[in-house]
Amino acid sequence: MSRVPFYLRERLDEIRQRVLFEAYEAQKLPKWEQIILTWITLFSFWIVISGNTRIENLFIGGITTLVISLLMYEMLTDDIRQSGHIIEKILYISFFAIPQYLFIMAFRLIESNFKVAKHALLMDINPGIVKIKTDLHSDTGITILANSITLTPGTLTLDVNKKLGETYLYVHWISVETLNREIAGEKIKGDIERWLKKIFW
Amino acid sequence: MVEENLLVNPFGWAVIVLVATSLILSYRVLFGPTLADRIVGINTVTTKTVVILAIFGFIAKEYFFLDLAVVLLMVNAVGGLILAKYMEGAR
Amino acid sequence: MIEYFLLFLGESIMIFGTLGILRFPDVYTRLHAATKCDTGGAMTILIALAIASEASLLIKLKFLVLAFLIGLINPMVSHAIARGAYKYGIKPEVVVDMYARDNP
Repeated sequence: MSRVPFYLRERLDEIRQRVLFEAYEAQKLPKWEQIILTWITLFSFWIVISGNTRIENLFIGGITTLVISLLMYEMLTDDIRQSGHIIEKILYISFFAIPQYLFIMAFRLIESNFKVAKHALLMDINPGIVKIKTDLHSDTGITILANSITLTPGTLTLDVNKKLGETYLYVHWISVETLNREIAGEKIKGDIERWLKKIFW
Repeated sequence: MVEENLLVNPFGWAVIVLVATSLILSYRVLFGPTLADRIVGINTVTTKTVVILAIFGFIAKEYFFLDLAVVLLMVNAVGGLILAKYMEGAR
Repeated sequence: MIEYFLLFLGESIMIFGTLGILRFPDVYTRLHAATKCDTGGAMTILIALAIASEASLLIKLKFLVLAFLIGLINPMVSHAIARGAYKYGIKPEVVVDMYARDNP
């Protein structure tokens, strides 16, 4: 890649972007499934926030969230991967993926709190900024991965760089152990990327 | 209708600890060496205030405090993002 | 009984986070202490409140929604502050800085 002349590099970049975009378009959900997923999320949030379950309140909330989900169905579910029937997908996401993620992240969060307490008491820090590569491409997946990296022990995401169809994350690590990109990525990301790749693109 | 004695409940003691840590953190807000330190201090104090509002709602059994806590959290998010954006431009 | 244990855990996490913010040397390490300890302590205390409250189920769910929003918003704001502080020109005290090497 380093021997390619400058004027060809832009063309190569463009072609890779287009191939990636077409693969992405082929895997997207159909429109009515996006609307239903958005409507279910918004309506459950309405019930919890408004706090009463009288019939007219449910009626107003259902109409309003249906209009909003007809207008903005692309924002929430644009990056979800195509697999299986919609009922199966809803059951898989709400009863398997989200509880598993929350359960593991709770223990990671407690562990990172104890680690920060240890660092604050003993002051044995050795900070550094490293660069790791991820296999995720969609915006929602990268956002959730970056937030999870911030909450896991000892790391904090600084910036995201997307170029040539590959995504790199810059991570501030409070005690640097290695500079090799693969080993550092395996230590920082852990299992989170593997779970996110099941749902997001 | 807050109860007269806050300290009958163990959650009331939690309010005192949170206020004490917020007062200690105001050192970082007042004398922080750079602008970013002050913003970190402000965000931390605001998150503690959200928790204090939720505890008041729990003790007084007035649950509209939770809506106020959600609104304060949103203000915290928007304010932090605007200040970070300002820092990014004001080189 | 479990809610008082969770409350004590959250309070001690908050105290250690304050100690970390006061003692760490530069902005980025302070952000470590601020984000992790604030998010963990606030979520723990709110889960303890949701267990201990005697209200209906929707009110308990409202406490949990508040905890979820804190866990969603706090890392995002800390990421924005870290990036803004780097662009503002605050140099980190680090042993290796790959971000400065890629964005000169």
